[in-house]
Amino acid sequence: MNPDLALYAVKTADGQGASFSEARIHELNETTVLLKNGEPQPAQLISSKGIGIRVYHRGGLAFAATNEATYEGIRNTVEEATRIAASSGTVVNSGVGLSFEKSVEASWRAEEKENIEDVGLEEPTKILKELDGILKDEFDGLMFTHRLLTLSLTLEEKFYVNSEGSKVQSRVPRVSFSSYLTTNVEGVPITITIPPGYSQLGESGGWEVVKRLKLHEYVLEEAKRLAYVLKMRRASPRGVLDVILGPNVVGLVAHESVGHPSEADRILGREAAQGGESYLKPKDIGLKIGSEEAYVSDDPTIPHSMGFYLYDDEGVAARKRRLVERGVVSSFLHDRQTAFKFKIESNGASRSSSFDREPIVRMANTFVEPGDHTLEELIEGVSYGIYIKSFMEWNIDDRRLNQRYVGLEAYLIENGEVKHPIREPIVELDTFTLWKNLDARAKDIEFNAATCGKGEPMQPIAVWTGGPSIRLRAIKVEAR
Amino acid sequence: MNPRIEDLCEKVLRDLTKMGASDASVLVVRSRERVVRFSDNKVTVAKTLSTTSLDVYLCKDAKMVTSSTSDLTSEGIERFVKNLVHSCDALQPSPDYTPLPKGPFIYPSHNNFDRRLAEDGSLLIDLVKQALDLVPKNKLRLAGIMKSQTVESQILTTGDVNTKDKRTNISLSVRAIGEEGGSGHDVSCACWLDGFDHLGATKNASDLALKSSNPRAWEEGVYDVVFSPIVAADFIQQVGYAASAFEVDAGISFLSEKLNEKVATESLTLRDFGFIKDGMASRTFDDEGLPTRENIIIEKGVLKGYLHNSTTARKFGTSSTANAGVVEPRPWNLVVEGGGYDEEELLKEVKRGILVTSNWYTRFQNPRTGEYSTLPRDAAFLVVNGRVEHPIRGLRLSGSILEQMRRIAAIGKERRWVSWWEVTTPVLTPTVLVKDVLVTKPY
Repeated sequence: MNPDLALYAVKTADGQGASFSEARIHELNETTVLLKNGEPQPAQLISSKGIGIRVYHRGGLAFAATNEATYEGIRNTVEEATRIAASSGTVVNSGVGLSFEKSVEASWRAEEKENIEDVGLEEPTKILKELDGILKDEFDGLMFTHRLLTLSLTLEEKFYVNSEGSKVQSRVPRVSFSSYLTTNVEGVPITITIPPGYSQLGESGGWEVVKRLKLHEYVLEEAKRLAYVLKMRRASPRGVLDVILGPNVVGLVAHESVGHPSEADRILGREAAQGGESYLKPKDIGLKIGSEEAYVSDDPTIPHSMGFYLYDDEGVAARKRRLVERGVVSSFLHDRQTAFKFKIESNGASRSSSFDREPIVRMANTFVEPGDHTLEELIEGVSYGIYIKSFMEWNIDDRRLNQRYVGLEAYLIENGEVKHPIREPIVELDTFTLWKNLDARAKDIEFNAATCGKGEPMQPIAVWTGGPSIRLRAIKVEAR
Repeated sequence: MNPRIEDLCEKVLRDLTKMGASDASVLVVRSRERVVRFSDNKVTVAKTLSTTSLDVYLCKDAKMVTSSTSDLTSEGIERFVKNLVHSCDALQPSPDYTPLPKGPFIYPSHNNFDRRLAEDGSLLIDLVKQALDLVPKNKLRLAGIMKSQTVESQILTTGDVNTKDKRTNISLSVRAIGEEGGSGHDVSCACWLDGFDHLGATKNASDLALKSSNPRAWEEGVYDVVFSPIVAADFIQQVGYAASAFEVDAGISFLSEKLNEKVATESLTLRDFGFIKDGMASRTFDDEGLPTRENIIIEKGVLKGYLHNSTTARKFGTSSTANAGVVEPRPWNLVVEGGGYDEEELLKEVKRGILVTSNWYTRFQNPRTGEYSTLPRDAAFLVVNGRVEHPIRGLRLSGSILEQMRRIAAIGKERRWVSWWEVTTPVLTPTVLVKDVLVTKPY
């Protein structure tokens, strides 16, 4: 789409008296290859391109979007935006505003060694066939009889401009893999995912990502280990036990119980009817929620991460945010709207998933900071407990207090040693209990790719969740 | 429909045929969505989202590709078609290839199109103001979303299909939050303005918020649980997804290998309607151009059929149910048959139970068997001997959807349409009573 259309949108809004306006040309090209039980399904090539325009006018905020790439289409969209902003501002004064940020001109892109646009469909199909060849083998007498494999290549390009003079251009390619596998253990059918927890293996970058991820080795190792666990697992112990969580679980814990509740729009109640509110209130910076070992951050600037960006969708520079330090809430995630309400500057958390979605506060890559221990040291410190390396089922309430994680790959720990696999241990616990009972972190940080959902209309967005193995003391463990 | 777009559709289909397509479909969807969001009793943003997309399915030599673009300039479409054919050539043939249905077909002549929703650009702001004015602002905070949508679509296929459809819908999801730990949620969903009850939903959410304030202690255990329509709709939606033959074939459905078996108590009958009045996803044709219809999924507790497109139908040795998705069939509007109980009679069946009015975050431990847990949110109440005793909060339900369907003890008479953030397939359902559900709280 012609960048001049974005400049024209802002100029038109200015001419109509808008106190602020911005326009974002946002293009997403996604190629998805799907293999079901070894057979190719229709490949999917999705291209979405258009312009999203946000205006402040007469006390109201409006967002309008179109994919009609003409000056007339843009003018109509701007007129619609200023009209509905004025009518919403008049009917109910919403008292919205934006924090002051200095304007920027920037162009940035994620590292891309092998151009993602040159890949086509042949190579991804070949890779999925190879992975399916690995997965249809027998693993210790266990077969994955049903296999649904997906490989996705995405290219996201944006051009942002606002009435304060900011202009930011960006390009982020991403590659990710996910799968559903079904087997039968002693007459009971079981579906699992690789990676576990309905997540993905993925990074930002060009086609080189496939090699960097070592997909074939990863899938083989994971399938072997999970097949072994499914076949050999015994009943999980119950009771109040020490629990070690692996990076796959810890990343989700960080995302759900610290990341989401730290989103300032949620704290202000803006998402109350959708994703809910937060156990944190606006005055809760400095609140102690965990032990001195609790360190959680969100950082969009991690190279190769799924949530990678250098400027957000309001033209604010990205930066690492320490959300919890030594167990104390140290900052929230802000866009310019929430920063205005808090009378501070934005910390660059504004993102939109496509041209027809309003930018809102989002996580990028949320993780528990690594500690000094090895995983072995964590295990040695447990006389009787469990080790949950990965999960399948999880959920959390709408204030982010009441959460549950159910293990997929999990083991008994006895006298400081990992013993046999155990069947689907359940930890169902309160956020404060979780973080207060954290006593040690390992160094073994890993990240998982995931799609975070928020907003209405829904905005699925690429993130990483991560962290090291952590040890929780005295947690109630249940089993089905 | 913009004539230029119609011309483009025909040209795209002609070009694809010339380039060797054995099968092709071209679907244009033009959507205009108006949104007003509010929180803390104030409007936070108004939105208008206007999009037109071109969705194409192409098959050459049993190689299949689907593609979508929103770049509808002549050059953009030319590039799109070339890229599509080039991409298709690079694929491998699939044994799953099935020809598109051969028309022409006769389509339902009715539609769900209310001109007032399509044309009145100020309507939503006015209706939201009425809702916000309804509640005492010193006692309750209202948050929610009101949206209306106008969709016009047209499909052309190599199977002699050329048909159009247009529809409107309007919905409100509103949550009232009180000072004393109470909150309530309700929705109103319709395709016609006359069926839309924004004030009723707002009043109900507010009443629930006030009634659920000062929640009291409760014990973990096994309870009879009364699922209000919003909660029942979430579970029915999961059953609808599991009825997709694609999910069955992929081995990830809890309805796999259950055809013609009893999967629920006799009181449960579930249908999917391609078109139904006030069904927000109603349409007269599916993505392969077949006229949509009514399909029975569960009849008196017996699983009678899966939802199919042409590909899954051929694989399962049956005919399409007109639920395409070219890649994956999906439910349109799920409808639970009303039962014999009015609200009071249904509550009387409960000895020791819990009434839940909304829920979210249903996740599966094992999708294949339907083992799940979910979180009730907003108002929930302890029920003893048919009487609502007091509000409770912080609970989680878990179990297996299949087992749960076999423990349905009563189904209400009165049904409501539900569609909101958590329930994305519209569901018409009454209140449902399920026996023996595990209810837990966090450590």
